[in-house]
Amino acid sequence: MRKQWKKIAIGTMIVPALALAGCSSGNNGNNGNASASPSGSSVVSETGFPLTEKPVTLKMFTRIAPANGPFKDMPVFQDYEKMTNVHVDFTEAPTDGFQEKKNLLFASNELPDALYRSGLTQLEATRYGASGQLIPLEDLIDKYAPNLKKLMDEYPEIRSGITTPEGHIYAIPGIVTLGAARTDKKWINQAWLKKLGLQMPETTDDLYNVLVAFRDKDPNGNGKQDEIPMTARAGTPGQGLPIVNLMSGSFGLDQQLGYNINIADDKVEIWMGSDRNKEMLQYLNKLYKEKLLDPQLFSQTEAQYLAKQGSGATGVFFDQTNNNFLPIQDQYTGMAPPAGPHGDRLQAQASPIARDFGAFAITNVDKYPELTMRWIDYFYSDEGSTMLRFGREGENYELRDGVPYYTDKFLSVEGAQGKITPYAGGGAPHLIDDHVASFINPPQVQEAQEKLDPYMPKVRYAAPMFDEATAQKVNELRNDIDKYYEEQSTKFIAGALSFDKWDEFQKTLKKMNIDELQKIYQDAYDTMKK
Amino acid sequence: MSKQAAASKPSDERWFDAIVYILAALVMAAVLYPLIFVISASFSDPAKVLGGEVWLLPKNVSMAAYQNILHNRDIWNGYLNTIIYAAIGTAINMIMTILAAYPLSRPDLPGRKLIMVVITLTMFFSGGLIPTYLLVKNLGMVNTLWALIVPGAIATYNLIVMRTYFQTSIPWELQEAAHMDGCSNWRMLWNIILPLSKPILAVMVLFYAVGHWNSFFNALIYIRDESKYPLQIVLREILMISQSDAVDANVGLESKVLLAESIKYAVIIVSSLPMLILYPFVQRHFVKGVMIGSIKG
Amino acid sequence: MKSALDQAEAVQGAAAAAVRLTPRRGRLLREMAKRYDLYLMLLLPIGWYLLFQYGPLYGLQIAFKNFSPAKGILASEWVGLDNFHRFFDSYYFNRLLWNTFTINLFSMLVAFPIPIALALICNEIPSRKFGKWLQNITFIPHFMSVVVIVGILNVFLSPETGPINALIEALGGQPIRFLEDASWFKPIFIGSNIWQNMGWQSIIYIAALSGVNPQLYEAAKMDGASRLRRVWHVSLPGIVPVIVIMLILDIGHFMDIGFEKILLMQNNLNIEASDVISTFVYTTGIQKGEYSYTAAIGLFNSVINLILLLLVNRFARKVSETSLW
Repeated sequence: MRKQWKKIAIGTMIVPALALAGCSSGNNGNNGNASASPSGSSVVSETGFPLTEKPVTLKMFTRIAPANGPFKDMPVFQDYEKMTNVHVDFTEAPTDGFQEKKNLLFASNELPDALYRSGLTQLEATRYGASGQLIPLEDLIDKYAPNLKKLMDEYPEIRSGITTPEGHIYAIPGIVTLGAARTDKKWINQAWLKKLGLQMPETTDDLYNVLVAFRDKDPNGNGKQDEIPMTARAGTPGQGLPIVNLMSGSFGLDQQLGYNINIADDKVEIWMGSDRNKEMLQYLNKLYKEKLLDPQLFSQTEAQYLAKQGSGATGVFFDQTNNNFLPIQDQYTGMAPPAGPHGDRLQAQASPIARDFGAFAITNVDKYPELTMRWIDYFYSDEGSTMLRFGREGENYELRDGVPYYTDKFLSVEGAQGKITPYAGGGAPHLIDDHVASFINPPQVQEAQEKLDPYMPKVRYAAPMFDEATAQKVNELRNDIDKYYEEQSTKFIAGALSFDKWDEFQKTLKKMNIDELQKIYQDAYDTMKK
Repeated sequence: MSKQAAASKPSDERWFDAIVYILAALVMAAVLYPLIFVISASFSDPAKVLGGEVWLLPKNVSMAAYQNILHNRDIWNGYLNTIIYAAIGTAINMIMTILAAYPLSRPDLPGRKLIMVVITLTMFFSGGLIPTYLLVKNLGMVNTLWALIVPGAIATYNLIVMRTYFQTSIPWELQEAAHMDGCSNWRMLWNIILPLSKPILAVMVLFYAVGHWNSFFNALIYIRDESKYPLQIVLREILMISQSDAVDANVGLESKVLLAESIKYAVIIVSSLPMLILYPFVQRHFVKGVMIGSIKG
Repeated sequence: MKSALDQAEAVQGAAAAAVRLTPRRGRLLREMAKRYDLYLMLLLPIGWYLLFQYGPLYGLQIAFKNFSPAKGILASEWVGLDNFHRFFDSYYFNRLLWNTFTINLFSMLVAFPIPIALALICNEIPSRKFGKWLQNITFIPHFMSVVVIVGILNVFLSPETGPINALIEALGGQPIRFLEDASWFKPIFIGSNIWQNMGWQSIIYIAALSGVNPQLYEAAKMDGASRLRRVWHVSLPGIVPVIVIMLILDIGHFMDIGFEKILLMQNNLNIEASDVISTFVYTTGIQKGEYSYTAAIGLFNSVINLILLLLVNRFARKVSETSLW
C-alpha cells in the first residue's frame, strides 16, 4: 500500500505548476490594469454625450431572465450605444445557474469590466470588495454620477445602506423611490364582499370572519365550495415565508434593518422568539386549520399562484401590482393592514428605497471606471430610466402629458415587453420613480398603495453593511437561525408542530446564538445612527 | 434461448411461466401509467392539465404544444448542439474507456492493481469546482465543446464495469490461445475482445450517450454563449420558470408561464425521443448471446 | 448440475492462477516489456486521470483554508479545521447525517435487489417478444428529467386533484398531503427512484445474464433441476461478480445523493426528513460561493465513502472472490 501512495504523491506533484499558472495569469491581469487605468481615464468626457470620442467596448456580465430576449437586441442598449459611443459586450447568464456562474467569475479571477443586474449580496460585495476584485465607487459616484449622487443626497438612507463600515461603496443598488413598487398590496375580492353584504375588514378578527364567509357562503355562486379565502406566495425555501412577512405588521412585528427586527427607543429587538410572534403564528394556524388559508400555501408554484390571481376564485391575496389579474381587476380592491389584537396596524412588509442591492458593480480589470460610472449613471435619471423601461418612443411607447405609456399596439403582442427591457425579470440597476411607473402603478394600484401608506413605518432602515468578518459571522448565524425559524414557523402554521413546543423553540433559538446576532445588529444600528 | 426448445413442459414450468408473466405485467403497468399520463397531457388543453382533469386519456385534444415547439428556435438549436456534443463525446468516451479497461482486465499485466487503486480513488476525491474550472480555463476550453467532453472523458464507474465484463465474460484461455498464435495485443483487442464484447459496448454507448444527453451542470458552468447551449439548459429554462419569485420578476412573464405550462409535457416527449429511438438499435445486442459460438467453437 | 458448476469454476480458477504468479524483479521487467503495448494503451487514460482527476486535487486544501479568490488557492489563509468545526457544530449536523444515512440504507435494502429481479424476469420470460417489451418499457422513465418526475409526483399525489387521494377518499379515508409530510418523504423519494431506474439498472444484469454459458443451463436441466432452481443455481451465480461489483460501487457512494430531485421535492414541512448533506452543500455552499465550507463537507463525505468502500471491498473479496482490485 505504501508504494501506491508514493505514486499518488507523484501524481499530485503536477499540482503546484498548475496552481502557479492559475495565479500568475490572474496577477498579470491586475498589473495590466493598474497601469492602463490612468491612460484609460482620459478617454471620458466630463459631461454630455457621447461619453467618449473614441469608441470603447466594455464587457459586462449580466443575468438574463426567462422573459428577456438577448440584450443586444434591446432598443435601450442599441440606442444608448449610439448616444455614448460605448459598446457593451454582454455575457448573459440565465437566472437559473446565475449564482454559480457569478461566484465562479470571482473565484477564478476571470472578471468582466462590470457586473450588470448582478444581484450581489451584501456579503459578496463586502467579500469581493475587501479582496480588491470590486473597486470602491464612492469617489467615482461623487465625480461622475450626478444623477445617482442627487438621489443619494435626497435619500440619505441609500448611502448608509450601501456603504461599508470602512466607508466604501462596492455596489450600486436599483433605486425605487416609488413607494408602490416596494410593497405587496393586500388585494381583497370586493365583488364577494358586496355580494355577501360584508364590510371591509378592519381588524384581524374581522378578517377571520370575512374569510369564514368567503369559505362558507359560496360568493362565486357556483354551488361548490371551491373558493380559496386567502392565499400567498409559497416563497423559496431559505428566503423567508411571505405569509409571515405580510401579516406580521398586524401583530406589532416590524421588519427593520432588512430582518425580523423591531426598533423602539433605539433598541434593536429580533422578535422571532417573542410572544407577539407566537400570537401571529397561532392566528395563522387557526386560519390554516380551518382552511381559510390556501392548503397549497407552502407548496404552490409561481405559475399556480398567478393562475389563482387571474381566476377570480380567491378572496384575499398579495401582490405588488394588478398586472396578473388585469382582465378581472374590478373584482378586487386594495385593503389596509388589519389591526391586530393589541391594536397594532403596520405595513411591515416593505423594501427600502435601495431595493435591489448589488445591481451594478465595477471590477478591477475595468480600464475605464470613470466612463463606466458615467454610463450607468444615466439610468438613474428619468430620461434614462424611461429609455430602459419603455424602449423607443413611437415604436414601444408614447408620451401622454409627458408621461410614458406603452402603446396599445405594443402591449397587444404577448411577451414583447420582456424582450425590450432588462427591468422585466427584476433587479436592473436604474431608478424607479412615479414618472416611469404608468404600467406598474396604474390608478388601481395607487389606490391600494394609499390604503397602506398611513401604516408604513416612519423610517425604514435598510439592511446594514457589516465589515467582512462580521458579515461572515452574520452569515453563519443566520444560515442556521433563518432556516430553523422558517421551518418551525411553517410547522406551527400547518399544525405539524404543537404550540406546546414553543418553549423548546425559544430555547433552540437561544442555543443558535440569536442574542449574539441581535447584538451585532444593535451595533450596526448604533453606528448607523451616528 | 435454447431452453425454450424443450418440447414438453412439466406443470411446475407452466406455473413458473404464469408467475413470471403476472409479475412482468404488473411491472409494466406500474411503469406505463405515468408515461401514458405525460403523453396524454402533452396532447391536452393545458388548462385541463393544470386543473387535474387529465388522468389517463387526453382531454380537449390539441396539438398546440407541438406546434409551439416546432417554432421554438432555442429548442432546435439546443437539440442540434446536444446531438453534436453527445456524438463526439460518446466516441471519445468509448475510445478512452476501452483503452483503459482492456489492459486493466488482463490478469498478466504487472501493476494493474496499483493502477486500479489510483483510478478508483478518483471516485471519492475530487479537487472540487474551482481547481477544475481553473484547469479547464488554462487549457483554453471554456466556452467550447471540449469543456463538456474532455473533463468527463472517462467515467470510472463505467470503466470498472467494462473491465469486469472483459474479465469475467471473455475466457482467458481464448486470449492465451490467441497469443500462442502470435496475435498482438492491439489485434487481440480489435479482432477478438471487441467483437466478443458487443453487449457491454452497446450498454456503454447508451450509458455515455444518455449521460451527455441529460447533463447540464458543466454547460451551466463552462458555456457562455446561448447559441452553444445544449438542450437540457434550454429545457431547464422552460421547465423552471415557475420557480421565480422576485418582486417584479413577473413582468412580461404571464404568457411565458402559460406557454411553459403548455409545452412542458410535449417538450419532455420531444427531448427524450432520440434516446428512446437509439435504445432499440442498441438493445439487439443484449439478447444475442454473443458469447455462445466463440467460446467452445 | 455439479459438473456444470465445476466447469465454471475451472474457468475462473485458471484466471485466478494467472494472477497468483508473482514474478521476481528481473522477470517482472521482462513481463512488463513483453506487454509494452498494453501500457501504451493505458498511456492516454492514465495521463487523463493524472491531469483531470489528480491535477485538481490540490484544491482539497481549501477545506482547511479560508479561500479568497483574489489570493488564489495556495496563498489563502490557513484556518485548520475551522470549516469542519463549523459543520460538526451546526445545529443541522445530526439531522443531515441521519437523513443521508437512512435514505441510502433504505435505498440499498429496497432498491438494489429490484433491478436484479427484473433482469431475471426478463431473462425467464418464455416469450422473447414480451421480454423485449418489458425491457423497453421499463427503461423509458430513466430518460425523464428530475423536474418531470417531481412534476408527475405533484400531480399524482395532489390532495385536491390526484388519483391516489381520490381513491383514498372513495374508500372513505381522509386525503393525505403526501408531499408535505415528513414521514412520507422517504417512501416517495425511494419509490419514485425505483420507478425511474429499475429498468435502466437492470440492463447491466441482463447483459451479464446473456453472457452466462448456456451449456450450464443444459447441464442443470439434465440433472433435473426445476426452473426456479436453475435461476437460483445457474443464472444468479453467473452474474454474482457483476452484482458484487455493483454493490461495492453503490456502497462506495453511500453518502451521495443527487441534490436536484430532493431540492425540488423539499419544502419546510418535509425538510425534517429531506434535509441531506448534498442539498445542504448546494444551498449553503455552492450557491453562496462558500467554497471552503463546501470543500470541507465534501471531504468529510468522501472519507466516509472511502472507508465504507474499503470495508466492503475487503469483505467481498473474502466472501465471493470478486473485488474492485
